[in-house]
Amino acid sequence: MSKSMGQGWRKDPRATQRLLMDRLATGMSLTATAILVLALASILWTLLWNGLAGLSLAALLHPMGPPGSNGGLANAILGSLIQTAVALLIATPVGLGCGIYLSEFGTGSKFATAVRFVSDVLLSAPSILIGLFVYLVLVAPFGHFSGFAGSVALAILAVPIIVRTTEDMLRLVPVAMREAGSALGAAHWRVVLFLCLRSAAPGVLTGILLALARVSGETAPLLFTSLGNQNWSFSLDKPMASLPIAIYQYAGASYDDWVRLAWTGALLVTLGVLGINIIVRFGFRSKQS
Amino acid sequence: MSEALQDFSTASQAQGAVHAATPEAALAVRELDFYYGEKQALKSISMDFRKQNVTAMIGPSGCGKSTLLRIFNRMYDLYPGQRATGSVLFDGADILDPALDLNMLRSRIGMVFQKPTPFPMSIYDNIAFGVRLHEKLSRAEMDARVEDVLTRVALWKEVRDRLKEPAAGMSGGQQQRLCIARSIATKPEVLLLDEPTSALDPISTARIEELLDELKQDFTIAIVTHNMQQAARCADQVAFFYLGSLIEMDSADRMFTNPRQKQTQDYITGRFG
Repeated sequence: MSKSMGQGWRKDPRATQRLLMDRLATGMSLTATAILVLALASILWTLLWNGLAGLSLAALLHPMGPPGSNGGLANAILGSLIQTAVALLIATPVGLGCGIYLSEFGTGSKFATAVRFVSDVLLSAPSILIGLFVYLVLVAPFGHFSGFAGSVALAILAVPIIVRTTEDMLRLVPVAMREAGSALGAAHWRVVLFLCLRSAAPGVLTGILLALARVSGETAPLLFTSLGNQNWSFSLDKPMASLPIAIYQYAGASYDDWVRLAWTGALLVTLGVLGINIIVRFGFRSKQS
Repeated sequence: MSEALQDFSTASQAQGAVHAATPEAALAVRELDFYYGEKQALKSISMDFRKQNVTAMIGPSGCGKSTLLRIFNRMYDLYPGQRATGSVLFDGADILDPALDLNMLRSRIGMVFQKPTPFPMSIYDNIAFGVRLHEKLSRAEMDARVEDVLTRVALWKEVRDRLKEPAAGMSGGQQQRLCIARSIATKPEVLLLDEPTSALDPISTARIEELLDELKQDFTIAIVTHNMQQAARCADQVAFFYLGSLIEMDSADRMFTNPRQKQTQDYITGRFG
């Protein structure tokens, strides 16, 4: 190194310009990230600040009541749990079956292409539209709102999510595994059910949980279906309370305790969705390795 | 040998007038053409796979050797647009017969793939999966079968204490031996190996090669390999393919010392391929 540097090391006239461009691009993406993080953080902060204020044993254990009566959200929490559970019970078999068909049996068929397209459209359909549809089919003909109608509306929202993830996850199963199953003399359905689905199970379950997270905060589809209920409601045949509807009713009210409860309800829904996401992210990762 | 002769004569009587196959052939390929859609991948292949022999298929990539292997268990049936004409005689029946019971065929002709393909279940269940498809065994019989095949692939001592653990936790070499164990657990007569060691390290490769020597006592083995040394070490018969045609087939000794065709000579000496 004692000799002077070779001719190849002459200074590149564009080096400074490149460095500036690099700084600029990095700076811009950092700014965009900061804006996003700031928005998210302020939402969470507002939610925690207002929601925690109203979080009390009464909020969790008492049913909704008139202003000033120390009412809570217990009936809405229970209603939400029942309706999303029934929605998942309906959506899971339908979504799974459809996803399996699309990935394993309908490859290349026009019918499968059409089903996939419809499912994808449904995935981005406005949820209020689903609510109106279920109103026409399950509420108007019977003359009353019902928790079951709410569940069906939520299920319709959940199905396309489950279809998509099931199909995608099954497609990730290596061809070699399918061939190895067939090479042992296993029939196609057996390969699909016992090898492919089993190997895709963590991903498929993730899809089901994500669908659950998605529908548990939905308000619009419930407005015309399960309506909401101020009292305890255990029957799927009757109007049923739910957290999103309670939030919707209380948030715009002019009573302080109702508004506080609306924030608490929002906090509960958010925590629920957050919990599901954490389970998805960490629960299945550790199981797979 | 006399038993094999008998087998064949009764079989061929049952089939009526079939193409002649030598008595010691487990698989007799006759005038076999194969197409991927419009593209012809195999051209008029005729060859015999002798019982209790290891037959190696060599040739440059795309020469059709894997394609041929996948005909023997009708793997190509999984994919529309692929078709074969000609005949492959196995135990008196034509493998290409559309009416053939494929699941039965595949229990009699097992296959091991290039990459280990452990199923997402325990080591034990990996083996039991295939057996359960074709036989009803008691718990004790199944245990015995699992131990038997794992012993045969020299895996028993390594995994006897973790049979209930997921097979995905094994090393690549162990997984491939498990796949071989899984294939022989259904008691096939023919074992097809599609580059079974190309994803393995040299030590695992050596173990599997040793295994082939043991296994050929009971099975007819057809192996596709890119590794000339492997073919020389393991095979009794070697077939050289080029551009979808069978160029030459002979004993391993002769193929590697004194091949008749110039193309074979060029390939095994590394002049192309």
